[in-house]
Amino acid sequence: MPIYEGIGAITEKLVVVMDIGTAYTKLGFSGEFSPRYILRSEVRCKETGIMRNIRDYKNERDLYDLLVDFLHVLYFKYVLLSPKDRPVVIVESLLCPTVFRETLAKVLFCHYEISMMLVVPSHLVCLASLGIDTALVLDMGFSEAVAIPVCHGLPVIHAWQALPFASQAVHLNLKSMLTTSNTGISNLTEWDLEDIKVRCCFVTPRERSKEFGKPCPSLTVCPDVKYPIQGSRSITIPGKIRETAFEVFFEEDNDHQCMSTMILDAILKVNLDLRLQLAENIVLMGGTVMTPGLKSRLKEELYEQLKNERYSKLKIKVFKFHSPPCKDNYTAWLGGAIYGCTELLGMKGLSRENYLKENRLPDWANMRDNLRTL
Amino acid sequence: MSYIVQPDVVKYACTCGILKPISNLYFCRHCLEIRCSFCVCHEADSHYCGKCAENLPSSEARLKKNRCGNCFDCPSCHQQLTTRAANVGPKNGEDTKATPRKVFYLLCLLCRWSSRDVGIPDQSAVSGGWPERENVYANRLQEIQDMYKGIVLSDKQQKLEKDKKKQRRYMSFTDRTGITASMLRKRVGLPDVPHPLLKSKPKEPTKAIATEDVEPFLEDLLTQPVNLSLITTMEQRLVQPELQPTTVDKLFPIHKHLSVKRSQRCRSCEHNVSKPEYNPNSIKFKIQLFAYYHIPEVRLITVEPLRAGKVSELLIKFINPTQHQTTVTILPYKVQDDLTLEECKSEIAQQPEEKQSIPVASSQPSSLIHSSLSRQPSITIKPRSVTVPIAASIEVPNNTFILPPRDDAAEYDDSGDTHNIQDDPKLVVWRKSNKAVIRLKIIPESDSKIGDEVVVGFIMQHVYVNTITTVDNKEPQKYEHKIKVFLKLGGLVGNE
Ligand SMILES: [Zn+2]
Ligand SMILES: [Zn+2]
Ligand SMILES: [Zn+2]
Ligand SMILES: [Zn+2]
Repeated sequence: MPIYEGIGAITEKLVVVMDIGTAYTKLGFSGEFSPRYILRSEVRCKETGIMRNIRDYKNERDLYDLLVDFLHVLYFKYVLLSPKDRPVVIVESLLCPTVFRETLAKVLFCHYEISMMLVVPSHLVCLASLGIDTALVLDMGFSEAVAIPVCHGLPVIHAWQALPFASQAVHLNLKSMLTTSNTGISNLTEWDLEDIKVRCCFVTPRERSKEFGKPCPSLTVCPDVKYPIQGSRSITIPGKIRETAFEVFFEEDNDHQCMSTMILDAILKVNLDLRLQLAENIVLMGGTVMTPGLKSRLKEELYEQLKNERYSKLKIKVFKFHSPPCKDNYTAWLGGAIYGCTELLGMKGLSRENYLKENRLPDWANMRDNLRTL
Repeated sequence: MSYIVQPDVVKYACTCGILKPISNLYFCRHCLEIRCSFCVCHEADSHYCGKCAENLPSSEARLKKNRCGNCFDCPSCHQQLTTRAANVGPKNGEDTKATPRKVFYLLCLLCRWSSRDVGIPDQSAVSGGWPERENVYANRLQEIQDMYKGIVLSDKQQKLEKDKKKQRRYMSFTDRTGITASMLRKRVGLPDVPHPLLKSKPKEPTKAIATEDVEPFLEDLLTQPVNLSLITTMEQRLVQPELQPTTVDKLFPIHKHLSVKRSQRCRSCEHNVSKPEYNPNSIKFKIQLFAYYHIPEVRLITVEPLRAGKVSELLIKFINPTQHQTTVTILPYKVQDDLTLEECKSEIAQQPEEKQSIPVASSQPSSLIHSSLSRQPSITIKPRSVTVPIAASIEVPNNTFILPPRDDAAEYDDSGDTHNIQDDPKLVVWRKSNKAVIRLKIIPESDSKIGDEVVVGFIMQHVYVNTITTVDNKEPQKYEHKIKVFLKLGGLVGNE
């Protein structure tokens, strides 16, 4: 990271851009090309000393207190700025629960007294770094995967598809597989599982996956890994688990839904004339997308699904994928940072005066309308 | 702050309704109110590097992205890196008599990571000139960013023009109400029509081209054994968000992150309740209005075994931290008191009526003089009601008692001087200089069970002498200040 950005940077006002994800929060400043920090979305509970994820709130008051503590850490340990009278850009999922976004706004405006808040939907702004306005966006985060088509700068909300196929599903699958192959390791934390997943596992090609499904697969599995745990002990991660931990994404559930059908179902819900364009503009984002082998497997699966009667009427011949100029886990943040340094903040941002007067946030309907021109 | 009375047996109720031990509270001398970290406004004061203790003006800190230019952290274990010197002899073909040169490299003393591991060339100066890595996409992103700026700007100008010219003859339906789902569907089918009013069309960003190819599956994954020590952990990846190296050979030293000194400001009167000295080496404060220096401290001495419905004797010690004598009155605390949040201070009479009262709320601009011009008045946080399960009643004494001023010299005086204070012997059982131990009778509620935590609460009213002099008031003022105190007495040991 270049430490001096030149004198030009200093003249512009500092706008904090944050994308508070379920597992990780991306934090940085507008006009910069990567977040300065990617931090776990958790904060130490003052009474018990235990780290608590900010989405594990009991009620609205609890969430308020969690967010106060969490933002305090963000501002005074990382951003190193007084939040008061400064603007903030929030990158938010279109499916963010109302209580969360309203409590966040309340904390920012009433407790931290920020001057201005611009909320941008992650599925839309992630396209900024690509310079396009029509794409099928699949966001694979921690708790769920959400596919939303964006057409001419408008997220087509009614076409959204969400499935709980994301990090958490892999962690659960990994945990159950590891506990059956290794005795006496029941206390693996979410972070242990994440580390095992990230460092040892990958998505295997479709052909091998099918072979694994047979009663006696005729293939050589990838090498086992000895993984050290809790200091002195170590567990063996069999090659089969390394290859198959991610298979949950591609196994169709009772409703015949999986990762590939999500994309196609979302396309199906859009007007005929836009379908081909969406299939040729697929944007994948979120930390899970960075898994080795995932993109190529998804491509295989998509073509495979086309043979299905359900999707043959789509008449899709080819799928094309974008590769944004950044790491996949902060594509949405980057979009927020790009919009954050434009005049949009002053035009569409919600000022503290207006918030206190109206005491509510504009809803997404307005937001979508606002961003249409871009 | 660690403190001798930990664990927090005695807690005070802050004005905002949160319970905290006295060591965590502030006392605003201007509002005469208790404040805590939750209800004050925190501000970043001065930036400094925790390793080299260099103080950076905030503009410079901003320019350096909140990082120290000279100190580095280990990318592997995140501890501080040390600069190591090495001697290099003359190379082949050079003059063998030349004096050996000194070169420097970075080394982690904890995990032994070194800048040589990843092939960073040794530097000839101590302070480095270590190579920085650039974002490979910087040019493309800069181009995109500039274009978006242009588009939004022209959008804005257009809007301004439209607002000026037209009487809003046709306001689109979406502008007014936000779009409905059916409208959206209709919209989606439409291609984006370029705006007819656009005079100078801003440069459109060159659209990214999607390709059929994705990252290919690496066959190596299936055959190569995994060496975990070569693969980075999530932490190691995420401390460098821009690069997120997946293998250890791409780790790069990280500029040490700066820290910040904070000051705290009362949200009602905008005065500081705490302000540290600028110098990072100093642990002193310019302003430190800690409750510990202004409010009598309560300590639990002893309590008789608690039995439901039975009277137990409770001994608590009061300490006056101020230079002025104070009178303490114990008042009963009732839970419903919190429903009607009463004023917890009252000026002791004989003050002339026209005396300017303490500046309350943010409405008084005069109180803003101390702060910068751009600073907006604060929003006061709505206080919460105290929610403590009180499981015992207190027999409130009728008498008050006096606490003499603090006298550091008296600490060493064993003469047992009692200041000739006439005490109620039933109430005060012991006293020395500015401390007094009093006896209270408490009765745990008769329906509580063995093991239940017994909490008692009372209101401590004390006389506070405000030494802040205002223009029209040179004399110190006396106030009666009330504060709610809660004591955790431990579990119930028996029933009736
Ligand atoms: Zn408080
Ligand atoms: Zn330093
Ligand atoms: Zn190290
Ligand atoms: Zn005050």
